[in-house]
Amino acid sequence: MGVADREVDFSDEDELPQGKMNEDYGSESESESDQEDGHVKLLEPSKNSVYNTDGLLDKLADISWPQNLAWTDKLSVVFEQAQEVDVNDDLARELAFYTQALEGTRQAFEELQKMGVPFLRPSNYYAEMVKSDSHMEKVKGRLLAEKKNIEEAEERKKARDAKKLAKEVQAQKQKERAKQKKEDIESVKKWRKQRQKSGFSGKGDDFPLDFEDGKAFERSSKKRPGVSPGDRSGGKSRFGGKKGMENRMKKKREFRDSKFGSGGKKGMKKQNTAATINDIRDFNKSDSGTKKRKR
Amino acid sequence: MGGKKRKQREAEKTEAEAKNGEDAAPERPKRTLLGWKEKPQEEEENAVSPIFRNKEKVLVTCSRRINFRYRHLMLNVVSLLPHCKKDNKVESKETKGACLNELVELRNCSSCLFFECRKHKDLYLWMSKCPNGPSVKFLVNAVHTMEELKLTGNHLKGSRPILTFSSNFDNNAHWKLLKEMIIQIFGTPKGHQKSKPYHDHVFVFSIVDDHIWFRNYQVSVPHTESDKVSRGSLEKMTLIEVGPRFCLNPIKIFGGSFGGPTLYENPFYVSPNQIRSLEKKKKVNTFVKKVKARTKRRMHELSNPLEPDEFADMWRD
Repeated sequence: MGVADREVDFSDEDELPQGKMNEDYGSESESESDQEDGHVKLLEPSKNSVYNTDGLLDKLADISWPQNLAWTDKLSVVFEQAQEVDVNDDLARELAFYTQALEGTRQAFEELQKMGVPFLRPSNYYAEMVKSDSHMEKVKGRLLAEKKNIEEAEERKKARDAKKLAKEVQAQKQKERAKQKKEDIESVKKWRKQRQKSGFSGKGDDFPLDFEDGKAFERSSKKRPGVSPGDRSGGKSRFGGKKGMENRMKKKREFRDSKFGSGGKKGMKKQNTAATINDIRDFNKSDSGTKKRKR
Repeated sequence: MGGKKRKQREAEKTEAEAKNGEDAAPERPKRTLLGWKEKPQEEEENAVSPIFRNKEKVLVTCSRRINFRYRHLMLNVVSLLPHCKKDNKVESKETKGACLNELVELRNCSSCLFFECRKHKDLYLWMSKCPNGPSVKFLVNAVHTMEELKLTGNHLKGSRPILTFSSNFDNNAHWKLLKEMIIQIFGTPKGHQKSKPYHDHVFVFSIVDDHIWFRNYQVSVPHTESDKVSRGSLEKMTLIEVGPRFCLNPIKIFGGSFGGPTLYENPFYVSPNQIRSLEKKKKVNTFVKKVKARTKRRMHELSNPLEPDEFADMWRD
């Protein structure tokens, strides 16, 4: 084991110089404080670092494969980077890697195509993949869930927008309605004034103002069968038309209710008191009626 | 046998010398079943280089007490390299270099990737060519494993990757060396038993901010034949990231395998231990500063006493 003999102490080279280094950092600590902890770097290169160019090149010559090796053995492509990439800009950095991969693959594929050997996976070639099917299922599930979430959010947004729009439309409509009403009232007032001015002369013919639909106001010609013209209940009341009768019946009922009571305890009410004894309202009622008739 | 051959050869020589005088016809080399018995020296050299075969084998292992994330990263690397052999965990102590060298030799490997985890949070990656170097120690940052669900690509296990390098690998000697090592370790040997004959993924090695960033993408090209792509479909080619992702910060390059003379030392490197201690120190400093400020203020107050306020009891009756 010749290698073992040559070994230097490589166990903890980052802990060894720590005592010495810490003093150096004391002064630098302020300037470094704003840096991200993942990418802390010395601001200036340390003076005593080793750089043995000859040794490196020697080793490179030692390990490198023969010069005339076919490209297919290495499959390495160099990509010319246009400009410096900012490390802290994640998007720009990833984009740079992506373009490097894309351009590199294009170059490599063209090279491979020249060789005329099959290099693309045929559609019927099935083999073990790096990620298992169950894992890919999970990935798919996540993608689907993400898509669903996005769709739902969009739907919600759409609904919100539609609601807002509907509200606006409704407000507009109400405004219009109010305006219409105002106009109508105004027109009626105008008509009234005009009529007053002309001294109620014309009855129906000189009706000066028309309503919106071009027709002057008129009662609807629709008549329900069996409903008298003055009946506002639309023929639903039982005593429609016989107004006097209805009134009398009502009064009688009220009186009887007050006298005999309707509901509640009856015992005390039914007994006479001084007041009821002196009350002679219903005594000889028919006489008063005859008197009226006589007159 | 050897003795017999030598005798024979000597006999031929004497014969040839004897013949030389008689006729100057050039002598044909002796044939065996498969070729010529004796080849001229130059011819032999020429013959060796074309039949160079890449027989790279990589031993992949990790230190004990590695945490799960880094272990998964190691397993991902194992799944990406069909020419690797995975070994048991190795105790990360001072003699691990010798131990690893022995292991590599035992497993007939020519290079080694050793994932060393310290304090359950810092991952170092040793990349070494065995048995006679060089070896590199990296600090690994920004690790994402293949298991992460946002990396949606997938590719054949064992298909040979296309390695793409950014052009700044050719700027310095140490980057050149690293590039060569990466090509040898991460490139799958052509015609390896476990490799598949198609190319459907691409590795990215890019130097940004003096770190080597690694990405692995699946290549998806619309194609019908396996040996041709039209220019249009090349334009339409898209990449889907498969993972893993990591970022390597070279710390040192050694001449030997897991040791030897230091050839390169990163002048900008700050170890995570130092970063942590710095942070702690900053906290200490805040308290010290506060105390200092307080004593300073007191001293100031003592040295410049306030003048007695003449209007102090003006409103007191």
